[in-house]
Amino acid sequence: MSSTGRGVTSPLCFSSDPNSAPCPALNKYGGAREVHSDRLCNGKDFLRNSTFGFEKFERLSWSQIITNTTITVTDEPDTLFQKVSVLVKGHDRSVLDSYEFFATMAAKELGITLGNVFEPPKDVLRLTLLKSIHIFKKHRVQYEMRTHYRCLELFRLTGSTAQVYLEYIQRNLPEGVAMEVSKIAVAKVPEHILQPMWEEPTADNAPSPTADLKG
Amino acid sequence: MAAHTTKICLSLGRINGPGFGQYASLNRATYATALSTSNFTGNKGGPDRGGRGAFVRRPRREPGEPRTEKMDSQQDWSAVYPSAASFRPGSVPLPVRMGYPVKGGVPSEKRGNLELIKIPNFLHLTPAAIKKHCEALKPFCTEWPAGLDSDGDLDKHLPIQIETTDYVSAGPSVRNPAARVVTLRVRLSSLNLDEHAREKMLKLLGDRYCKDTDILTITTDSCPLKQQNTDYAMYLLTVLYHEAWKTEAWESEMTRADRREYIWEDSASQQNVLDTLARMGVGEGEAPPREVLLARPEVQQYRDSVTRLKNEGESEGATLRYREAVKKLLSL
Repeated sequence: MSSTGRGVTSPLCFSSDPNSAPCPALNKYGGAREVHSDRLCNGKDFLRNSTFGFEKFERLSWSQIITNTTITVTDEPDTLFQKVSVLVKGHDRSVLDSYEFFATMAAKELGITLGNVFEPPKDVLRLTLLKSIHIFKKHRVQYEMRTHYRCLELFRLTGSTAQVYLEYIQRNLPEGVAMEVSKIAVAKVPEHILQPMWEEPTADNAPSPTADLKG
Repeated sequence: MAAHTTKICLSLGRINGPGFGQYASLNRATYATALSTSNFTGNKGGPDRGGRGAFVRRPRREPGEPRTEKMDSQQDWSAVYPSAASFRPGSVPLPVRMGYPVKGGVPSEKRGNLELIKIPNFLHLTPAAIKKHCEALKPFCTEWPAGLDSDGDLDKHLPIQIETTDYVSAGPSVRNPAARVVTLRVRLSSLNLDEHAREKMLKLLGDRYCKDTDILTITTDSCPLKQQNTDYAMYLLTVLYHEAWKTEAWESEMTRADRREYIWEDSASQQNVLDTLARMGVGEGEAPPREVLLARPEVQQYRDSVTRLKNEGESEGATLRYREAVKKLLSL
């Protein structure tokens, strides 16, 4: 059964992984420049707005962005993710609470199946250092750094949906919060692994070295 | 206030009046024209204006009433906070207080409260705003294919799992070298392998195979880019598969010691059992044939216990089972 869907190019998409090879169908800003030029062709002088940077993109209202974008549907197959696990780390638990509310609500609105949403135990890094720069070994000062975690598990997402959701989540990541996203993509067994290549009958004239292959 | 008054008088001279009383004497020649006379640049608070009292500032334009007074309760909040911005007390019509209170006091109010400005706020992500955003984002999402709803279906049709991790954080660099690690997992039962190929594959895999779940795990991180590592993992899988099907000439020289698992049939242990039973005189009269002897339940139990001991290593349970089997076999 074919499991391929058609991939949808998001205007806002650029890879959340800086190490991955850039997608060839998109330009440096992942297609957003098309949005820019749509807006800028509405009578505005491009030179005057040459400083219209990517940062200002966020200050446009959503309705303005969407009326001007074109949704392109490509025929390349969508990747399928069995599970996407988002772990956010921060120093303040209440910020992570609010972020969790936002992320779970966004997932519900976009129709993504949410799995477990839980809070792994916090990590505390404690340092005991000398208080004075010279001698006074008995007098120390202690610091600690607390890292709180929150984990969301999402199941059965397509590549386009995952890209849209993750980009939305990551653009709204608050200051001082880090994120790790681990994705499990599923794929078919590729054609070259379906049959052993040694079994090809008399593909070449010379007898293969494994002529005594036992079935 | 005096600063705003528009004096239509072309006077040149000292200006003394209400609002200027805080200054002892004011020697300034100003033109009071029809425009607002608030452009006093002379004594406009220098770096150290703390010498004269609490509020030594030049009277300047009143800030006016905060926007919160004019806000309607049915307004569109996403117009007030369309994107992430720091807390503005004049824009948020809530009586928020924050901060550790002084003794006998309450947390400080929102006006001029640095704690409220420092902490990230989610005022731009109210439920209404999230709904709006998601409505706009929905056209870019695609649906999950219908027939793959359970894990079993996924396993059947799409047996290969590739796990990758991305990292998002703020720092001097956006790159994270741990992002290049790729883990490929596959069930061996979903690959087309015959017995010999499976045995050879298990020998090649060693630790990368988990017997309980039948999952082969290949982790690659030797290449600098994630795409390269996924390609390398697929290459490794391909090579393993084809090598497993190949039979080399020297494989026919395999001995019992080379085998991955212990097999009881045709082993010294089996021969010992047969000899022992023969000597015990089991089966009165002539010795029954080998197959009959081997098919006896005690012999089968002994065979199981020895195989378990050899394959799974020694443990208390395994040793006890062996003991029971031996006792039964020797009818002690």
